[in-house]
Amino acid sequence: MPTDHKHLAEAVRSRIGGASGVADPALRKEAAAAGAGAASTNEPYAALAQQIAEASYRVTDAQVSAVRAATGSDKAAFELVMSAAIGAGLFRWDEAMRALAEASDAAP
Amino acid sequence: MRLPEVDRGDTLAHRALIRMISAVSGMRLPDAARVAFYDQAFVSKALGSWTQATMRGPSSWSISERELMASLVAKWNSCPFCIGAHRAIAVKGMPAGLVEAAHADYRAAPLPELLRVTLGFLEKMTLFPKKLSGADVRAVFDAGVTSEALTDAIAVAALFNMITRYANALDFALPTAREFEKSADMLLKRGYGS
Repeated sequence: MPTDHKHLAEAVRSRIGGASGVADPALRKEAAAAGAGAASTNEPYAALAQQIAEASYRVTDAQVSAVRAATGSDKAAFELVMSAAIGAGLFRWDEAMRALAEASDAAP
Repeated sequence: MRLPEVDRGDTLAHRALIRMISAVSGMRLPDAARVAFYDQAFVSKALGSWTQATMRGPSSWSISERELMASLVAKWNSCPFCIGAHRAIAVKGMPAGLVEAAHADYRAAPLPELLRVTLGFLEKMTLFPKKLSGADVRAVFDAGVTSEALTDAIAVAALFNMITRYANALDFALPTAREFEKSADMLLKRGYGS
C-alpha cells in the first residue's frame, strides 16, 4: 500500500497551530507563514523566520538570541525555528501537489 | 545558535538517554537526534512519523536513492550536517563514486534515468518552488516515473527542506567522517522515528 503522505503532512501542519507546545500558536503560525514566504514585520520573529526561509545557512546567533530573549525560553524559540522551517518545507510540498494536480487536470 | 536546553535534553529521561547513547556509541549524540527527543509535545513525533514512512517505508525508490535525494536537497540548501549525514547512508547501498558524481553534477552522473529526471524536479521544487508547473510533472511522467514514485520523492524533498533549515538555524555540530559513518549504521538500523 502506498504511503499516505498527505495525511502525514497534514499531521505535521496541524501541530503548528495546535494547543501543544509552549510558544503562542499564533506566533508559530506566523513563523510558518514567513517560512513559506509571507511578508511580516513582527520583529524579532520576522527576521529569523525570513532568514530560515531564504538562506538558513546565514542565520546568526544574534537572530536566534533575539527570539530567545523575546519569548523567554529555549523551548519557545525552538518552536518558532521549527515552525519557520516546517513552513518552508510544507510550502514546497503544497506547490508540488499543485503542479501534480495541474498535470492530472491536463491529462487527456 | 545551539539552544542549551535542546543540547542537554528537556526531561530527566531524555538527559539520561542522551548520556547513555553517547557513552555506548563513543561519540557525541548528533544534534538531529537531540532535536527528535526535545519538546515532544510539539511537532517532533509527527515529523518523525512522516520522515520514517518516507525514508524507510514502502517505495519504488531504494533507501540509498532516497538518502541521495535528501543529501542533494541538503546541498542545494547549503546544509553541511545533512550533506554529511545522508551521503554517509546513501553510500551503504550505492557505489561511493556514484554518490560523489551525483553531488558533483547529478545531470552528468551515470544515475538511472528515472532518478536523474526526478532530481531535476526536486531541485526546482527546492530552489524555485513557485515556478513548478504541470509541465514539470508531465516531463517526469514522460520519462516513466509513476505518480506514486514522484509523490514519494516530493515527500523526501519537502521533509529535507524543513530539516536542513532547522539544522542550519540551530547550528548542528558537524561530526567527523568516522562519526557520520557510525551514525549512518544507527540510522539504517533504527530509522527516524523518535
